[in-house]
Amino acid sequence: MNPSRRDFLKYTGASALLIASSDVVGELIAQSTAKDPLQSPFKGLSDVALGEAKKMGCSYADIRFTRSVNSGVTANGGNDRNAPGGEGGFGGRGGFGGRGGGRGGGRGGRANRGAAGFGVRVVHIGVWGFASSPIVTEDEIRRITRIAADIAKASAVAKKVDVRLAPVPAYTQYWSTPLLKDPSAVPQDQKQAFAQKVVDTVLQNKQVSSVNASVNLTNEWKYFASTEGSYIEQETWETSPSFNVSARTGDIVKSRNYVGVPRTGGWEVAEEAAMIESAARIAEEAVEMTTAKPIGMGLKDLVLMPSHAMLTIHEIVAHATELDRVLGYEANYAGTSFVKLSDVGKLKYGSKLMNITADRTRAGGLATIGFDDDGVKTTEFPIVRDGILVGLQTNRETAPLIGDKASKGCTSASSWRDYPFLRMPNVHLEPGPKGSPTHDEIVADTKDGVLIDGRGSYSIDQQRYNGQFGGNAFWEIKNGKRTRMVSDVTYNAITTDFWANLDAIGGQESWKMFGTGGDAKGQPTQTNSISHGSPTIRIKKIMVGAAYA
Amino acid sequence: MYSRDEIKALTDKILNMTSSAAVVKVDGAEVSFDGGERAGTRWANSTITTNLVQYDQQISITVRIGAKSGNSTTREFDDESLKAAVDEAIDAATKARDSPNLPPLVKSPQTYIPVDAALPATVEFGPGDRANWVKQSIDICEKKGVLGAGYIPKAYQTTCLANSEGLFAYYQYAETGFILTCRMPSGSGSGWSGLTGAKELSQIDVAQLTEVAANKAVKSQKPRAIEPGRYTTILEPRPAARFLSTMMGAFNAGGGGGGFGGGGGGFNFGGIGRPFFNADGTSKIGQKLFSESFTLKSDVGNPILRQTPINNDGSAARPVTWVEKGVLKNVFYDAATARREKKEPSPATPNMSLVVEGGTQSLEDMITSTRRGLLVTFFWYLRPVDTVTLLNTGMTRDGLFLIENGEIAGPVQNFRWNMSPLVGFANISAIGKSVPIHTGEAYDGPGTALVPPVRIEDFYMTSVSPAV
Repeated sequence: MNPSRRDFLKYTGASALLIASSDVVGELIAQSTAKDPLQSPFKGLSDVALGEAKKMGCSYADIRFTRSVNSGVTANGGNDRNAPGGEGGFGGRGGFGGRGGGRGGGRGGRANRGAAGFGVRVVHIGVWGFASSPIVTEDEIRRITRIAADIAKASAVAKKVDVRLAPVPAYTQYWSTPLLKDPSAVPQDQKQAFAQKVVDTVLQNKQVSSVNASVNLTNEWKYFASTEGSYIEQETWETSPSFNVSARTGDIVKSRNYVGVPRTGGWEVAEEAAMIESAARIAEEAVEMTTAKPIGMGLKDLVLMPSHAMLTIHEIVAHATELDRVLGYEANYAGTSFVKLSDVGKLKYGSKLMNITADRTRAGGLATIGFDDDGVKTTEFPIVRDGILVGLQTNRETAPLIGDKASKGCTSASSWRDYPFLRMPNVHLEPGPKGSPTHDEIVADTKDGVLIDGRGSYSIDQQRYNGQFGGNAFWEIKNGKRTRMVSDVTYNAITTDFWANLDAIGGQESWKMFGTGGDAKGQPTQTNSISHGSPTIRIKKIMVGAAYA
Repeated sequence: MYSRDEIKALTDKILNMTSSAAVVKVDGAEVSFDGGERAGTRWANSTITTNLVQYDQQISITVRIGAKSGNSTTREFDDESLKAAVDEAIDAATKARDSPNLPPLVKSPQTYIPVDAALPATVEFGPGDRANWVKQSIDICEKKGVLGAGYIPKAYQTTCLANSEGLFAYYQYAETGFILTCRMPSGSGSGWSGLTGAKELSQIDVAQLTEVAANKAVKSQKPRAIEPGRYTTILEPRPAARFLSTMMGAFNAGGGGGGFGGGGGGFNFGGIGRPFFNADGTSKIGQKLFSESFTLKSDVGNPILRQTPINNDGSAARPVTWVEKGVLKNVFYDAATARREKKEPSPATPNMSLVVEGGTQSLEDMITSTRRGLLVTFFWYLRPVDTVTLLNTGMTRDGLFLIENGEIAGPVQNFRWNMSPLVGFANISAIGKSVPIHTGEAYDGPGTALVPPVRIEDFYMTSVSPAV
């Protein structure tokens, strides 16, 4: 950008009438160094929307500016790394490219240019209206606000009840992910060398056919303002280290994934992921997988490592306890829930060892942030205690529907383009109390079981009651010993039966958080990122292998 | 919005900027434009919950300097921003490594099959119109004693690809859909109906679709559990489309098996399946792999679908028959794979204007001719279990009925199934009329195909899935 334009932006602030969109949003953020939302140029731009909404007669309005920048490093190697592949993939020209809304640089673009824009949400005549645009000018903000209000007005013909929002205090606050090592301060060569070292270590195993290592970095900035009086500026960093190793024996190719705990945080997340230390072991396991024999069908005790337990926590606890699903809001797409409102305080969700906690506050969680996209301060709350369902996930819109006085801060939107709605927070299975068994002790105590690491195929019904799950790597456990790798393992779970069979839970030493970044919900579909922590656990007598029968 | 002339002027301006760059001689340039409106209205419990519109626009610029290529994108279209984006692309190309297999830019002229896909009434179909559809539907739901939850997606999009060889490929479309789940207020029954990718509003009959979903909700109550096993199974168009999506990736000569689109595939955790290829890498073209009644094609220019006639590289797409009367006729070669294997690139991708040729039977005819079987309204959460065999799993949802002696005998509890489409589409015993329906898990973006109801023998229902 030339100096004259930079100066123009610096001094115009809220009265910038000319073009000011994606990259210019970055420029405006860069000028907003005070970490005080009231000093930000976006304060004035926000007031344009809030003022226009009031003029239109809206009872509530918020505006959310967002800018996301993706970057990272990848390295790969092995004889099969280029085959098969092809270029580009399917899809004729026509339409928005992909879900969620334009993170990163777009079609083949470089990742360092941020995808930015804003969305305005209003309640007018008791109905929501929402519109979004990437063009950040005062005129466009006014236009989009008027469209949002008009949409709400037009929608009133099909409303049965008015939207009511749980009260929220007004906040003026800056919040950011705590960083030990700012990723942008780590030289690109150093990052690349890190990924390459993983690849080189894996390739010391000559039976490996391909390896791909990556560290993806996402930086998201957002500025939220609402007619409740809040002005909130937040910045999050997400670091996702992982690598994948394939090995071939004859025609059999198997892939072993190492998911190195994606977390919010800086480059330290990559360094703490033990990628290099684990590379040789993962390579060996990939090779062993190619000759692993099917486990067959039958009842087995499952010993689930945290990298896999997170999957069942996500699918049949976290989704099932989203209040909007319970109320039927997702009936047309993601589904409802087997949980009923009357179950709270009564439903035996699992054994007494089961304690589930939701939060958006725990350090490192992918959904961890200061305030949700309703402007509600995030919190921690129980969902299951001693096996009994005690709480549900709520936001400002849904909390009043069950008589709650405050939201639990579960609103989120994927990008500037998207409509904020109820998304799950981080949801964890708490470790057992002091004296609980270690991972090795749980294995040693298992006579006939399967040890499962990582995620594989999974499919869950629309009420989160029947699931079929697979993992990435499996080992047979016989008489307390981990014996050999096995294949073709899927298991079937009826939610409450599955958790009722939780009969061993590890302590804090085995508790670990894993994350997922592609959780789809809503129409148009949005994805979000969340973490799920768990210790090693054992689920007794579960049917294994039926999918392959 | 984004008329042909407007976009032509924009892409010409950018191409002129690349050719007149002072710092370095640019050997070729490509400019793509994507922009428009995506809107949607959602309702649940028979009240409107979300009504929104999202605007977006983006230019992507790729320049070539010798064998090097560089790219940049921008959402800002003022001269200064465009120039900055051109400079960024040139800078990226200058710093890039050589790409030895850079395909040549597609040359002009290309003769595209004419497609009129942005009809004024659909372009203008706005939030008030959508709300009126919702009102019409929930009024019917009220009379039927059910609760409606649905989605009306609307897209009005323009895409364009222009290059320094004179290419100007422009496609604009407007489409909508109507997707409805009706549930009993007690939660004891659920029904579904829908239609997507409609370029003409008259394709959507809100009242008729609502009647179907509401009646299914009412009739699906008190389902009885029956034993899992292999059943003669009629898949209505929506589950047939989802099942089909799990094997479309297998047509790709350059890649592994699996599906495409919205949760249909993409995982690779059982090895790499290439069911349409022999062990020596040769294709199975000419072999009969499916039932006689199964014909699958990319019918570019199809007058109902009205989908893009332009390939990703800007070349003119042409119709391709993938499977004809059960015989594999073509596999898909993208440009790179075609070069590597010395084949001609395919003139269309398998998900362009996808059509499963239908028959003349109505769904009722198919039920009447079924001695004992299942009628499936909807498939949910399809995921690959084994990509070598294309074994997939999923569940039925929103209306599963037992057929006995040519009649609907009553509702049954949902099933989880594990089944490969390679087996399923080889076991077709009846086929109905094709309708436009989305193949993806979600209904956003391209992905609508013309798909008929199909009756499949020995469909493997592996366990009862009692959720409603």
